[in-house]
Amino acid sequence: MGGRRRIGIAIALACVGAAIVAGLIVARWDDAYPSTDSAAIDAELVHVASVVGGRLTELPVRENQHVRKGDLLYRIDPEPYALTVRQAEANLALANAELANQRRLLAVRTAQAATARDQVTRAQTNRDLAERTVTRLEPLANRAYVPWQQYDQARVARNDAEISLGQARQQSAAAEIAIGDLASAMATQAASQAALDRARYELRQTAVTAPADGFVTSLRVKAGEVLAPSQVLFTLIADDAWYAVANLREITLSVVHPGDCATVYSMIDRRTPIQGRVESIGWGVLSADSAGPARALPLVPRQMDWVHVAQRFPVRVHLQGAAPALLRMGATATVEIRHGAACP
Amino acid sequence: MRQKSFCFFFFRKRRNLHPVLPLLALNGCALRGAPSFPIVGAYFPAWMLCALVGIAVAVGLRVVFLLAGIDALLSFRLFTYVALGTLAALALWALAFGP
Repeated sequence: MGGRRRIGIAIALACVGAAIVAGLIVARWDDAYPSTDSAAIDAELVHVASVVGGRLTELPVRENQHVRKGDLLYRIDPEPYALTVRQAEANLALANAELANQRRLLAVRTAQAATARDQVTRAQTNRDLAERTVTRLEPLANRAYVPWQQYDQARVARNDAEISLGQARQQSAAAEIAIGDLASAMATQAASQAALDRARYELRQTAVTAPADGFVTSLRVKAGEVLAPSQVLFTLIADDAWYAVANLREITLSVVHPGDCATVYSMIDRRTPIQGRVESIGWGVLSADSAGPARALPLVPRQMDWVHVAQRFPVRVHLQGAAPALLRMGATATVEIRHGAACP
Repeated sequence: MRQKSFCFFFFRKRRNLHPVLPLLALNGCALRGAPSFPIVGAYFPAWMLCALVGIAVAVGLRVVFLLAGIDALLSFRLFTYVALGTLAALALWALAFGP
């Protein structure tokens, strides 16, 4: 009886010991090769909108349709924008005409300035002659060879010529200043050109094309809708790159590195493994312990948990070569890091 | 692929050798794919299935050992069967979902 009891105790100890050892080994594996069933298939979005507003006249795409980059998605009534372009073209023509006008006037003013310079030369010559006459008559008048009256007239004529020369100089200076330049007209022309370019840009924006390959979603309106500028009409799910976002506990992040292989299963078909590569690990999540409005005092709760549940961070896994049927944004997924059927 | 060969291994060659392993192998076949199981519209994690298998194995071994007379040899039966069930659950986890 004692022998059988000892055998029983030995079996019990062996079984419990083996279970503990196996448990520790599996726990280590689980830490070194993390996996999660809390993941989702993800892709990038474009909220399709036009920077101009107006009536939606043409809508060739349908809900859930696949479009290629550059395809026409919708068109806004271009007429008001075409009219603005015509108005801007007319304004530019006006500015060009005004510039030509100013050029002509500039030539006229330049010629007037040249005339004024010639007038100065003439006044100078006259003044010099009057000066010489006075100089010649002065000794003759002193000895009464010519009448004093004649000498007085010569002096008056010299003073007149002096005043005329001063006036001619002032007129010449004013004419030089009045020439001016074309800066104002050229600036007006540049402003009109810019306004025309902007009007043409807005006209081009009435046709909205696909910024990437993708699927049209959330399209619930028909042509005829009036859109405000920048109003989102639908969402485009870009399908050039697909991701799985796996929420992994912070204690396992030390063994997850960008570039690691990952096996991803989309639950649309849980039997088909998809190979992925860890692209990045999220740098931040909102924590209830540090939440609070910006610029305000920190909000610290008074009560304190004794047991803290591990925080999870989103790990972004880039999917490679997955069948399109498995990829729908938001689909449930499981992710196994560095193991699983897709990572030999 | 590894799990498929695992199934063939037990089904074709050793079907009658051990009462537990075909059960494991059957699970291995069903397990191929994601470690998450859809049951009426909800996904159950793989560890839950492993725990259920562990409980089933512990109960099954108890019945088998009683019939075979091995049970009389054991003492601390509760701990022994719990340990055996844990071992079965961990083995399934390691084989089907481990690295």
